[in-house]
Amino acid sequence: MSVLQTWLVQALFIFLITGSIGVLLDPCGRINPESPVVQLGSNFTAVCVLKERCMDYFHVNANFIVWKMGHFTIPKEQYTIINRTAASVTLTDVTSLNIQLTCNILTFGQIEQNVYGITLISGLPPEKPKNLNCIVNEGKKMMCYWDPGRETYLETNFTLKSEWATEKFADCKTKRDTPTSCTVDYSPVYFVNMEVWVEAANALGKVTSDHINFDPVDKVKPNTPRNLSVSNSEELSSILKLTWINSNIKNVIRLKYDIQYRTKGASTWSQIPPEDTASTRSSFTVQDLKPFTEYVFRIRCMKEDGKGFWSDWSEEASGITYEDRPSNTPSFWYKIDPSHSHGHRSVQLMWKTLPPFEANGKILGYEVTLTRWKSRLQNYTVNDTKLTVNLTNDRYIVTLTARNAVGRSDASVLTIPACDFQATHPVMDLKAFPKDNMLWVEWTTPSKSPNKYILEWCVLSDKSPCIPDWQQEDGTVHHTYIRGYLAESKCYLITVTPVYADGPGSPVSIKAYLKQAPPSKGPTVRTKKVGKNEAVLEWDQLPVDVQNGFIRNYTIFYRTNIGNETAVNVDSSHTEYTLSSLTSDTLYMVRMAAYTDEGGKDGPEFTFTTPKFGEIEAIVVCLLSIPIDNSSGVLFCFNKNRDYSLFITCSSFLFRIKKHIWPNVPDPSKSHIAQWSPHTPPRHNFNPKDQMYSDGNFTDVSVVEIEANDKKSFPEDLKSLELFKKEKVSTEGHSSGIGGSSCMSSSRPSISSSDENESAQNTSSTVQYSTVVHSGYRHQVPSVQVFSRSESTQPLLDSEERPEDLQLVDNVDGGDGILPRQQYFKQNCSQQETSPDISHFERSNQVSSVNEEDFVRLKQQISGIPQSCGSGQMKMFQEVSAADAFGPDTEGQGERFKTAGMEAVLDEGMPKSYLPQTVRQGGYMPQ
Amino acid sequence: MDMSWDSWGMLACLCTVLWHLPAVPALNRTGDPGPGPSIQKTYDLTRYLEHQLRSLAGTYLNYLGPPFNEPDFNPPRLGADTLPRATVNLEVWRSLNDKLRLTQNYEAYSHLLCYLRGLNRQAATAELRHSLAHFCTSLQGLLGSIAGVMATLGYPLPQPLPGTEPTWTPGPAHSDFLQKMDDFWLLKELQTWLWRSAKDFNRLKKKMQPPAAAVTLHLEAHGF
Repeated sequence: MSVLQTWLVQALFIFLITGSIGVLLDPCGRINPESPVVQLGSNFTAVCVLKERCMDYFHVNANFIVWKMGHFTIPKEQYTIINRTAASVTLTDVTSLNIQLTCNILTFGQIEQNVYGITLISGLPPEKPKNLNCIVNEGKKMMCYWDPGRETYLETNFTLKSEWATEKFADCKTKRDTPTSCTVDYSPVYFVNMEVWVEAANALGKVTSDHINFDPVDKVKPNTPRNLSVSNSEELSSILKLTWINSNIKNVIRLKYDIQYRTKGASTWSQIPPEDTASTRSSFTVQDLKPFTEYVFRIRCMKEDGKGFWSDWSEEASGITYEDRPSNTPSFWYKIDPSHSHGHRSVQLMWKTLPPFEANGKILGYEVTLTRWKSRLQNYTVNDTKLTVNLTNDRYIVTLTARNAVGRSDASVLTIPACDFQATHPVMDLKAFPKDNMLWVEWTTPSKSPNKYILEWCVLSDKSPCIPDWQQEDGTVHHTYIRGYLAESKCYLITVTPVYADGPGSPVSIKAYLKQAPPSKGPTVRTKKVGKNEAVLEWDQLPVDVQNGFIRNYTIFYRTNIGNETAVNVDSSHTEYTLSSLTSDTLYMVRMAAYTDEGGKDGPEFTFTTPKFGEIEAIVVCLLSIPIDNSSGVLFCFNKNRDYSLFITCSSFLFRIKKHIWPNVPDPSKSHIAQWSPHTPPRHNFNPKDQMYSDGNFTDVSVVEIEANDKKSFPEDLKSLELFKKEKVSTEGHSSGIGGSSCMSSSRPSISSSDENESAQNTSSTVQYSTVVHSGYRHQVPSVQVFSRSESTQPLLDSEERPEDLQLVDNVDGGDGILPRQQYFKQNCSQQETSPDISHFERSNQVSSVNEEDFVRLKQQISGIPQSCGSGQMKMFQEVSAADAFGPDTEGQGERFKTAGMEAVLDEGMPKSYLPQTVRQGGYMPQ
Repeated sequence: MDMSWDSWGMLACLCTVLWHLPAVPALNRTGDPGPGPSIQKTYDLTRYLEHQLRSLAGTYLNYLGPPFNEPDFNPPRLGADTLPRATVNLEVWRSLNDKLRLTQNYEAYSHLLCYLRGLNRQAATAELRHSLAHFCTSLQGLLGSIAGVMATLGYPLPQPLPGTEPTWTPGPAHSDFLQKMDDFWLLKELQTWLWRSAKDFNRLKKKMQPPAAAVTLHLEAHGF
């Protein structure tokens, strides 16, 4: 109880003591100044004065003073002892915005006791406000704004002051959140000049902006013109009249206007010339507009002399100009149904709807007239954009007009020539190239000036037919872009037809891509023939649907299991390539990539193994494991050099064997082979039946291939053939022994199978027996199957299995000893010169393996060949080659493209020759 | 009695107004573009005030109520002598010299402004008070403009009557109808004055136009 009393007394005492000085605690000293504000970067000095009572109590004086900034003790060097009770501290270059400065004393030598503290605030004096300006929104109070200058870090007040010459107006003090503008409290009086300025003030100073003197009417921002409306005129399809209501300010000041308009949907505005709207008005007629077009308008206004501010834009208002007669003729073209009946033609007339800016109104219909020589007009009224008519084979003049509510267009006139009309004067130098995401077409004007051009285009595809779209261009045009949807990576066939007064000219076509891409599939490579050190690779050209661009080249990659991959670039025109310097008896992996301008794509990998034995040495292995004439044995025939007698002997021996083994062979003379074998052109025929000549067939069939010595004269060949025939006759009936004797009786030194290297070098003459059988037996085809095929009409089946196997042999000059196809062709065409065409025996053997009777025909065939050879045949090859490049589908397209009764003549060499041209000329621009 | 209230009030107002117009520093600062621009501006201001008054009068007369807001209300003039009359014989008006023309305008608006301020004090609605206040400010601006033109042309401003103090003293009680009648006539007279002033300043403006300016000034100089 007494404790509580004591406490209460003490508390009361303290309350009374401190209450008398207004604070609860009496500090031991004070800092002067109490709440300083200093300019950033300046020096500041504070003084701490201790109280006597405190100094006595703690036994300290001013020397014991320690200054601190936050927790940081200020070094003694910055202190100054003024007297026994006071010490100052000087802070130089104050950079902190807010500093807590405390005065402390060190009691008992080491204990810091806080005496007093102040907060030092620093900042910058205000800068002179700049760019003072005022705006008077019509009907509202005036608002002025300015640039306050740099940040002061202190509370800075801005005061807008304004006065007349005779009167001061109330100050406008800024609000805390908008220190750069102020709205005065009075409505300004127009036509009386006033002076306005801004005062900026904070703890560090006060500064005044430049004074501006103005008439508030020159700072007016008028209210927006209201109720903008648009009306059209039936008399004039090119005008629209705008009306609006001006704001009330028009009673006080004169206005000028800014009127903008655009067609509906357009993004950019057109402007009425300002000088046409430079005075107060409430309506305006806009001229030179397009008929039957919706226009959108907006308007704003300001003081006529340009002083003040533009009003906000009015709400947009729209109106449609009245209709006018169509200003252009529709694009007009026709197609003749190719399947015309005798004396009549079905002609489809077609035209394009006029674009709105030419239709000038709603097209109500089309009128077509047909005029034939000396006959009266036929009239048609059509709502559609096509009309099919039956015409005779005579010449017709067709006219077309489009009609709207106001009138008719001029007539589009087209001449449909008579059936026997010969189109001439095609466009020249036709080019197509992508640019700015559009496909551009350009050409050189023909010598005869056309009335117009028709451009047709369609997607080339194996999957869908060519359905052409078209467009018309004026006769003066010589470049344009395809106006229609075009897809990327699609091959477009573009045809340009000049149209003359007497009918269409010859069409010219070109292929182009809007944007190329890498092929979607790579080529599938396979071996055509594998030798000990070489392999002939072949592939098919990619279908147009997967090309995605112009195939520029191929790259063949091949490697062994352990070796590095080797890459070989091959021109895109090739479909065959021979890999040389391969290692024998080795597994190779090969794949192939095709490249467009945009990149390439790999095809599937193919593996093959080179044989252990060489081909060129003409190792004829006749492996007989079947009893022949109650005897069995193995017969090896080695022939190092050209020895036809040996070959013939072997062959006849084989025939005997075969006949023995497969006695029920169908009669080849009644098969298809009998038809094609002697007469079909060698390699470049597309007929799938030709597959029977492929090497695969020779492989499968137990045949003998002969590679003729180039130097061997033709008469010798004949002689050998003669021998062949004789042998055939002589071997009949006694097969056994003959084969053996003929083999063994070879006058040439025999070469063992180990003599591969030497045989490989000798390519002058080869008699091959089952050349590819090596690999076929060992890696691909079971031998039994091979044989069973070989002795029947199976070559046909084989060709079905490999329908793609109809490649051209176009690298004729690259032919070496292991390119039988090439050689076949080459020999065929050069037989009259020097080379003997022994390789015909390939075929003869194949045939003979079916039936011996064919030998007779074979001979006839061979003897007939020289007459058909030579340059003429070469030419034929070229023609076929070109046609092949375009493919059978292209022919179909040509048929479907038969517009205007014309075959679209493809630009010569188009698939191969055009593109390099454009590349060279820089005409093609990849996107 | 009424007259005395009006006279005292008017004088007090007039003195207040004139007290504030000893000099026209704003116009002195603008260099020496001649009186043309300020006359044009004063003319524009009269048109602007005329426009303002039209809407203000409509509102105020509606506030006064019938019969004052009726379109054909046209009472005989009462206590008219206290208001400066704008109507003047055409010949007399034509023969006025520039100084006299300007002085008459100045004196008239000084009086009218004082009356108008009395009107403002009586107005009941805030909106009306605001409109009247703005109109008063504008009229004050017109007085300043006229003073500026006079200063430019070298004419002294009319001095307030000696002995009058710039204080406003309310007069004795006034019947409500008569008070409204005074207000009606005040607005009507203001309108007439603004029409006349527009003509006055248009006339001055034409006289001050550059080609004829030298001759006109010469003649004016002779006039004084």
